[in-house]
Amino acid sequence: MHRPQPPLSVLIVEDEALLAMDIEAMIEDVGHHVVGEAASLFDVEALSDTLDPHLAFVDLHLAKQTSGLDVARLITLRWPRTFIIFVTANPKKIPDDFAGGHGVISKPFSRSGLQSALRYIEEGVCDPPPTSPQPSSFLASPAFAASWAIQ
Amino acid sequence: MEQRDDWHLTEAIKHELGRGDPFAAAVRATRMPMVITDPAQADNPIIFCNKAFQNLTGYEREEIVGRNCRFLQGPGTDRQSVIRIKSAIENGTNIEIDLLNYRKDGSTFWNALYLSPVRDVAGHIQFFFASQLDVSARVDAQTEIHRRHDEIEREVERRTAELNEALEAKTLLLHEVDHRVKNNLTMIGSLLRLQARTINDPTITAKIEAMLERIDALATVHRRLYQSDNVSKFDVGAFTENLVADLVGASGRDDIDTATDIEPIDIPSGNAAALGLVLNEVVTNAIKHGFADGRPGTLKVSARKSEGQVTITIEDDGPGIGSTDTVDGLGRVLIKRLSRQVGARAEWISADPGTLVRIIFPMEI
Repeated sequence: MHRPQPPLSVLIVEDEALLAMDIEAMIEDVGHHVVGEAASLFDVEALSDTLDPHLAFVDLHLAKQTSGLDVARLITLRWPRTFIIFVTANPKKIPDDFAGGHGVISKPFSRSGLQSALRYIEEGVCDPPPTSPQPSSFLASPAFAASWAIQ
Repeated sequence: MEQRDDWHLTEAIKHELGRGDPFAAAVRATRMPMVITDPAQADNPIIFCNKAFQNLTGYEREEIVGRNCRFLQGPGTDRQSVIRIKSAIENGTNIEIDLLNYRKDGSTFWNALYLSPVRDVAGHIQFFFASQLDVSARVDAQTEIHRRHDEIEREVERRTAELNEALEAKTLLLHEVDHRVKNNLTMIGSLLRLQARTINDPTITAKIEAMLERIDALATVHRRLYQSDNVSKFDVGAFTENLVADLVGASGRDDIDTATDIEPIDIPSGNAAALGLVLNEVVTNAIKHGFADGRPGTLKVSARKSEGQVTITIEDDGPGIGSTDTVDGLGRVLIKRLSRQVGARAEWISADPGTLVRIIFPMEI
């Protein structure tokens, strides 16, 4: 599997501007780079093919009645190496196979919750398996967690 | 054949009392409508009817005698019942049945028919004897009872459907409110975090950070409440475990070990926010002051039930101030007032080394 090294390039797909700004700031705080922002499926379609982010944070409920699950499927098609993390107040709406996603962060998240989730995800992406304790703010998809077990 | 002739004799009796067969006279005069038919003749015709039968059906004797009883049937008469009567006659058995019959004027009545064969000494059927009774009132009452029963059943079904719809609407509304509260808490957190990064004064930044932690604690309370199946109960044990992991994780201090001994403790959800804030203040303070200046150590947290009482203990192995002096002004007030609000008390004990804080409250606070 492709193992990027930090700093990671990050795409944020979130229709709530405040949250997008907040998540962006916290991602920059831990040293990664936000390379793109999108508020809907259409915005993601409009992004350049060369963006190819290491990591994407995707809200489920997006602008223009579009769904984060469709965004995840699109990202999987366009940039197959990208790790996709859902950020949602409705984690129950994520299907069992995570629609190709790698994990979920539940809203409302705390700063500490997001920070520990970011650290854990970085370990899971760059140098698996993660050595930090599993944070309560983050749940890895079954497929993502299984990929660590077979290292 | 003697008896057969006797029946014919009764036709000649003109007086209420006196001559002739007294039994035949009684049959003629009774209030109970009766007929006798002769199966020996073609189509089993009526050979006798009494006055009561004429009154019931509205026909004159001349219109009745010589006809088969089926002339009383009409379009509303139940075919199955007619078939049952026919087979009773063929088998020579008794039958008792309610039948819809028609009067001469076309009006209907429910006829409680009783039909039985009359046999001679050798057991051969001589006649059929039939008595009728107008039971329209009883049948109508039953029909009415069935109708009302069906009506009530329909009403119950309708009301049940309405209640189910109302429950569905309520559940939907609860989810919607939950979703909005989550969104608002997330946005409040984002606003404060964004503001905090624009401030260069470390004192103010620290205060905003403390506020953020309090809002985060509230958000965690809300998330745990709505994730559970029962929104009326809150597991303060699981919350404490969660809180300690989050706060130690957020401190970025991998030199602080945690040792937890926590069991599930359900409290009424109305107290969850207040108790959650108290615990947030105590744990935050322990991390800030118990392990100040980069001193490593172990944070011990336990939450146990015993004898109707819950004790949550937060213990650091730091310098051991043993009082609330290290807690900032608002934090101190929050611990004091919010504990009192939920019927809990907070004890600060110098543990040598370190500080031990106990939050004690009765079960079912």
